[in-house]
Parts: sequence; C-alpha cells; structure tokens
Amino acid sequence: MKVPNIPAMTALRISAVLTLVGLALMVWSMLEPTPLPVMLAMTVGQGIGCMAFGLYLYVVIRDIRRARRAPSLESPESPQASDTP
Amino acid sequence: MVSWIIAKPFLAAALACAAGAAVLALWFLVRKPTLTRATKLVLLAAIGVLPLVTAGTGNVAGYEATKARRFCGSCHVMTPYKSDSEDLHSTTLAARHARNALFGDENCYACHADYGMFGTVVTKIGGMRHVYEYTFHYRNMSLEEAREKIHIRKPFQNATCMHCHSTEGPSWNAIKDHASILDRVRAGTVSCASEGCHGPAHPFSKPPGKPPGKPPATLESAR
Repeated sequence: MKVPNIPAMTALRISAVLTLVGLALMVWSMLEPTPLPVMLAMTVGQGIGCMAFGLYLYVVIRDIRRARRAPSLESPESPQASDTP
Repeated sequence: MVSWIIAKPFLAAALACAAGAAVLALWFLVRKPTLTRATKLVLLAAIGVLPLVTAGTGNVAGYEATKARRFCGSCHVMTPYKSDSEDLHSTTLAARHARNALFGDENCYACHADYGMFGTVVTKIGGMRHVYEYTFHYRNMSLEEAREKIHIRKPFQNATCMHCHSTEGPSWNAIKDHASILDRVRAGTVSCASEGCHGPAHPFSKPPGKPPGKPPATLESAR
C-alpha cells in the first residue's frame, strides 16, 4: 500500500491539532470524572493521541530515511568517487 | 495548592504534563517555526513524551476516580444509594461503612469490588457492564422504576466482608452469634447480609418479601 506523500509541515500541524484534541478529552475526564468523560478519554482520547504520535513518527522517520538516501544518490557524481581507482 | 498536589499526585502530574504539551503544540501551530532538529525535538515533547505521561498518569487518576462514590452516584439511578450513604443519620450497612474514615468516600467500591487475584480487572469488567446496562436499559428510567429493577447480579459474597472482617479477631468471635455460625459464615452458606444477621446493605432498595440478592422474576426472565 502506498502511503500518501504528505508535506512534513502539514502532517506535523495535523499531528499537533490531534494532540490538542486528545489532551482535551483526557483533561476533561480528570476534571469531571464521570463515566462518559472517563471512557471517552481512555478510548477515543488515547486513540487520537496515538494517531498523532504515529503521524509524528512517520514524518520524522521519513525525513531521516530521505536524509540518509540523499548522500548515497549524490556519491556517483562526486569527484572523489570517480577518481577512486 | 501544595496539599492538593500531595493528595492527588497523579492528577497533578497529568494536568501539568497536559498543560506543557498544549503550550508547546500551540506554539508550533501559532508561530509556525522552521522544521529544524530543535523544532522536531520540541514536537517530540509536545506530541510524544508529555501526552504519554499525561495518558499514563491520567489512567491511574481515572482508575482512582472510578472508585469514588461520586463516580458511582453520577448515574441518576444510583442517587438513592449515594444519598443514603451520605446521610449521617442513616443506620444502613452502606451508610455506616461510608462513615469509615479509611475508605468512606469509596464505600461502593470497597464493598462491591472483587478481591480475588484478578479482582481489579474483574471489577472493572463489571463496571463496563454497568455502563452498558445504564446506557441501554436504565438511562431514561424513573427512580421508582429503577429501584424495582436494579438488583445485585450474584448473591453478595461473605468473602467481600471478610476482606476486612477476617472472622479471626477476638472481638469478632466474642459475639455469640458470630461464634455459633463461624463455619457457615466462612463457607458462605449463611450470608452476612441476610435477614436476621446484618440485613441488606441497601434495605430501601429491596421490595418487601424478596430475599436479598434475588432479582425480580420479571427482570430475570427479560435477561
């Protein structure tokens, strides 16, 4: 399955918004500990938080892999590589 | 403030981490900084570390909150049970246990929890069942109707009483009625909450003529 190539900044902004939504649910459950907020926080709130962190990790890992791949793509064009016997 | 933090350390930690994470996330959304390594580290704290700590400590605080009578009484059908527990003039078993300084605020949990090896998990699964029952069967029910229909699922186990009242103490055994039925109490063949002994903990909820722990026949056939 091909993962859509979302710009890093957009993905991180979505991640930050999701984090705020998840945190809001968690804080609501702590300030009003009744069944509905507590259950929402422990299911939906934590699910949203996990999605946000997953999106962040996806962006960071993708950037690291791109950064590693970039020098290896450039190496055949570098003079040192061609001069090497 | 300091005493509140000491009294509820998990809740305080969760709220502090949530506030920190929110501030950092909002900073990122409002200021739109360049995506450098430092920015990613700030986001690691805002999206990863602090929310994880919030979720972890929040879960502990949430589990603790579910033990409170305030939590149990937040469903309207539990109002009479909560009111009775909070009535300083009530002489019911539930009310007398609610006046215990050690666990009074958590008297529902103290008496209805399972104290087996996986007791906490079993109790929480039972709690989820309560939420299901309330949402789909009792939510729109009047208090009078609910009082008729609400029943304990299994007969109340003496083992729950014996979690505190071990039946080993000399003061407990000094009572003749206790000593005479000691084996039967320990075996659970005579209920501590039976008529003639201590009686039901919530006597107002028992229709006259119905033994404690037995659901009304109409409800049993409906399940």
